[in-house]
Amino acid sequence: MSPEPILVEQLSKTYQVPEREGGFGAAVRSFFKRKYKDVKAVEKVSFRIEPGEVVGFLGPNGAGKTTTLKMLSGLLHPTSGGASVLGFTPWERKSEYLRSMTLVMGQRNRLSWDIPAADSFLLNQAIYRIPDDEYKKTYKELDELLELEPLMKKPVRNLSLGERMKCEIAAGLLHRPRVLFLDEPTIGLDITGQVRIREFLREYNRRTGAAILLTSHYMADVTALCERVIIIDHGQLKYDGGLTDLSRKIAPFKLIGVMLSDADSHDLSRYGTEVQNEEDMDKRYLQVRADEVTRVTSQLLSDLPVHDITIADPPIESVIEQAFNQ
Amino acid sequence: MHFLKLISTFLKVNIQMSLAYRADTLVNILLNIMWLGWELLGLSIIFNNTTTLGGWGIGELIALLGVFRLINTMMASIIWPNTEKFNQSIRDGSLDYTLLQPAPSMFLVTFSRITIWRMWDLLLSIVLIVAGVRMAGDVATPLNILTFLLLTVSGAIVLYSLWIVLIAFTFWFTKFDNNVTILQALLDAGRYPVSVYPAWVQIIVTYLVPIAVATTVPLQALRGDLSLGRVLIFLAVSVVAAWAASLVWKAGIQRYSGASS
Repeated sequence: MSPEPILVEQLSKTYQVPEREGGFGAAVRSFFKRKYKDVKAVEKVSFRIEPGEVVGFLGPNGAGKTTTLKMLSGLLHPTSGGASVLGFTPWERKSEYLRSMTLVMGQRNRLSWDIPAADSFLLNQAIYRIPDDEYKKTYKELDELLELEPLMKKPVRNLSLGERMKCEIAAGLLHRPRVLFLDEPTIGLDITGQVRIREFLREYNRRTGAAILLTSHYMADVTALCERVIIIDHGQLKYDGGLTDLSRKIAPFKLIGVMLSDADSHDLSRYGTEVQNEEDMDKRYLQVRADEVTRVTSQLLSDLPVHDITIADPPIESVIEQAFNQ
Repeated sequence: MHFLKLISTFLKVNIQMSLAYRADTLVNILLNIMWLGWELLGLSIIFNNTTTLGGWGIGELIALLGVFRLINTMMASIIWPNTEKFNQSIRDGSLDYTLLQPAPSMFLVTFSRITIWRMWDLLLSIVLIVAGVRMAGDVATPLNILTFLLLTVSGAIVLYSLWIVLIAFTFWFTKFDNNVTILQALLDAGRYPVSVYPAWVQIIVTYLVPIAVATTVPLQALRGDLSLGRVLIFLAVSVVAAWAASLVWKAGIQRYSGASS
């Protein structure tokens, strides 16, 4: 089993979307003559993911994340460019390829609603031709990590969202895929649920060495799981590299927190941009460019009745947000 | 072998799904018993009052009804429920998961739902065919029976292919929920021997719409009315239909992959 990376080269996807003005007349005209507009969902995106890597795939809504994942899993044909995953061209959808990867979409169901997940699992076992002993072994392992057993006997419709997501993910992993494409796997879950899935994915990656490409709107998923992130926006690659380097490149800022004796009476705007920090309401926070930190700090100390002062990197969430906004 | 195993797994899952709601199950059983009674009553009325229709004797008509019911069972237990599921899966996007499974998508789309309640129709149709043939006093030679079976299967294949083409159209039109209503309307025309209809309808039904192939033709074979040449033509038609349907299906999937988001 030669470990081969995910290789994406100049991948592009353009959709033709029907377009019309609002209103009745336009609706009738559009019935007879459709106008189409080209929408570039993904534009010349290239990257490479090594086996065993967990990579966060980020971007605002409509950036082209799902389209890219769908191309890599084989659901969509690209308009141009190429990709190879485990040595296969995804959109040829060879059954050998389909058996070695999985796509889990947090917003879609693969399990049958009316029967317990255990029965849907057996159906998957049959479709993926998983031998009994291998199936049992994998199931045991997944059960150990996700505590599936108590959920297996209830019809899926009676499970909570978090419980169902655990089963959905397990269903996608029964065939022990070597590449995982996860599209918002924690969407809608509460904090505990998110943490469970996160811990599971980390452990799964450690045990199996599977490569994971993951999108999420919860930055905590990304910071907990991924050392590397790929950011796309408007279909174009904006950043590909370490999570820690990201703040240096995208947002060379520091946060200066000051505790003042009469906190509200001072205007801090001339020192830098004041930002909210929910975790620490006692201090007021200033966002200051990294090369200005020393100057601003000494100025603050000399000008104001400062009780306490801290200097920190901005939280990665806000850095990523900033990256989107650029 | 793998496909048989898959079908039996699908069947098991579907039985479980059908049994999931108790009240629904009971109503279904009751309804089907009533339905069966109604069908038998209808048959006995035809049986008692009619002697010929379009030149066919009563026994032949009964057998024809049997073949018709056989095809109808296929419609009710497989085609209808899977169409519903297919149309829904296009809308809610779950077709994506189907396409990512390592089994032919046409197979998965065909068998993922099986309505078990109509299965005893299968028995009824076989009884009707056997009884009808015997009543007609025809001596069905083993060869006739064999061609009959072959042509019934090939008729079912033609119908199935037509269905695949109709649902594959959804890939182009996005919303095409009437796909199977059209098919059912065409099929209903096959309830009576084609010669009941005016010539132009016969032409449509026999040639343009190969529904007649699915019901009348197998029965002609059973009576030994078909020449070998025509039998071969009908068999060839079903092979071509299946081939064409799989091409259209593939193009549809390609189109889906190219256009969906």
